[in-house]
Amino acid sequence: MTYRWVDHTAEVELEIESGSERGVLEDALLALAELLATENPGRPQELRSVVAEAADRPALLAAWIEELAFLAESEGFVATRLVDLDLAENTASATVAGVLDAPPPLVKAVTYHRLSFERHGERYVARVVLDV
Amino acid sequence: MFEPRRIDDELWEIPIGRVAGMRVPALLFADADLLAAIAQDRSLEQLANVATLPGIVDAALAMPDIHQGYGFPVGGVAATDASDGVVSPGGVGYDINCGVRLLALPLAHDELRGDRHQRLVHELSRRVPVGTGGRGAHEGLKGANLERVLSLGPRALLEDLGIGSDTELALTESGGRLDGADPSAVSARARERGAGQIGTLGSGNHFLELQRVEAVYEADAAEAFGLRVGQLTVLIHSGSRGLGHQVCTDFVKRMDGRLAHHGIELPDRQLSCAPLDSADGRDYLKAMAAAANFAWANRAALAHRVRESVEAVLGHGAAAGTRQVYDVAHNVAKLEEHGGRAVCVHRKGATRAFPPGHPEIPPEYAAAGQPVFIPGSMGTSSFVLAGRPGAMERSFGTTCHGAGRRMSRTAVRQTVDGRELRRQLEARGIVVRAPSARGLAEEAPAAYKDVDRVVEIVERAGLAARVARLRPIGVVKG
Repeated sequence: MTYRWVDHTAEVELEIESGSERGVLEDALLALAELLATENPGRPQELRSVVAEAADRPALLAAWIEELAFLAESEGFVATRLVDLDLAENTASATVAGVLDAPPPLVKAVTYHRLSFERHGERYVARVVLDV
Repeated sequence: MFEPRRIDDELWEIPIGRVAGMRVPALLFADADLLAAIAQDRSLEQLANVATLPGIVDAALAMPDIHQGYGFPVGGVAATDASDGVVSPGGVGYDINCGVRLLALPLAHDELRGDRHQRLVHELSRRVPVGTGGRGAHEGLKGANLERVLSLGPRALLEDLGIGSDTELALTESGGRLDGADPSAVSARARERGAGQIGTLGSGNHFLELQRVEAVYEADAAEAFGLRVGQLTVLIHSGSRGLGHQVCTDFVKRMDGRLAHHGIELPDRQLSCAPLDSADGRDYLKAMAAAANFAWANRAALAHRVRESVEAVLGHGAAAGTRQVYDVAHNVAKLEEHGGRAVCVHRKGATRAFPPGHPEIPPEYAAAGQPVFIPGSMGTSSFVLAGRPGAMERSFGTTCHGAGRRMSRTAVRQTVDGRELRRQLEARGIVVRAPSARGLAEEAPAAYKDVDRVVEIVERAGLAARVARLRPIGVVKG
């Protein structure tokens, strides 16, 4: 797990560094789970399918977080684990495990401000600012 | 790099060239102390980036409450030429037509005797759903027809449910309805997110505040607005909820994918935009107008719930006598004429402030100027201002919208304990209802700039004049 929250005056900025593109999306899921976590251990795990589409990798990261945030807002479903992921050029199709909960009202939108998802040598580095 | 040069006592300039592609300079209204606070984050870089928008006219502008946002800074203003300029969804923001409505009660503060003060704040918190997703988010007004709300704004609630009045519509910016709204331009997901959210407050910095008028600065304007010292008021701060956020999300994505087609290069993808006369631009304006109408209807429904609360605690007469002073938008793009030129004015965390005599001001306020409401923070004053001629000359008819954040949410949580803050506020006679101590801490007064200083700057700059100061006595946080 290699993500960190960066100070932003009004919003929430997430930075991720991982050894793979899959790892970036997985870390984004874990970061969101941390943000939306409540203290309800023992709830049964459920599965959901998530499909995100975008023209390039940075936009795909934004779309991926958008879909996870929408599940939280619309169903109260907080994804906590990536079960499987099919990552194509413009699409991420995944099965995620998580819990039905009452997540706090935190993520309203995923912005394109300073959005990035790039390969740096053997690592992938990404950044996204969330509107909260 | 972004050290602005001083133009006069209230105005600073970032010249063309500080960011590649700047088409006009960037101008900031502030004094040296506010500028020092503003320079702590990326606000000035974001402001300079705005100056790269195709068709931008005169300058990218910032109000003294500017702070770092995403793409545009919050507190930013950009006017683009209607004939060859662009519209940028990020220049409006996610919470389309986030704004404030002020209600004036026919009672003085000292009439809240016994436990009525506590009961009124409690009743407001009980009747007004808060939060984003899950419980509380979709407990909106029953029977509201979303299609009609998107087309007509609060008029749909008046015609269908008897909520509001023609007088209140007239005392709302743009009559509570932007022309050109087209519900078909609003996506299915935006509708899903907005369903059941009319009459809900939301979260973050949204709030209801019970206040008393602490001071009056311009007696004639205060009288025109129906405000007197000691009077009770309620300030409502909310917007277009999940629907507006999704409209912005949809169009930032769509326009980002079409930048190359339109031959536009930008320093930040969140500034994505499209020519006003393109299908992308026109569709956004249709959807944005629909979301703005939704927001005005939301605040109308919230005002209805405030009146219900007033009636439950203070009686029918008090509720019937509760009048709307005005309702203004903070996040919107509007086609206006300035200096004989048709422009699209983007106001992102900024308020329209038309001067006395402007044809878009309600007749009863024609001599006073357009009312503008500047929320402070939970522990500090809010202000009622009135638009002044300087706004037309210097800022496309615009002034500030609040105190402006100066600390991040993380930073303020590290220094402020929400439970202790609640005790401190209540010790000062401010009754607080908030869904979480964390959320309360994030909106602590320490997180914001000095609202008195912000208001002083816009007054000195001739953008707006102080009419009254409002002191909080009860807060319901979203």
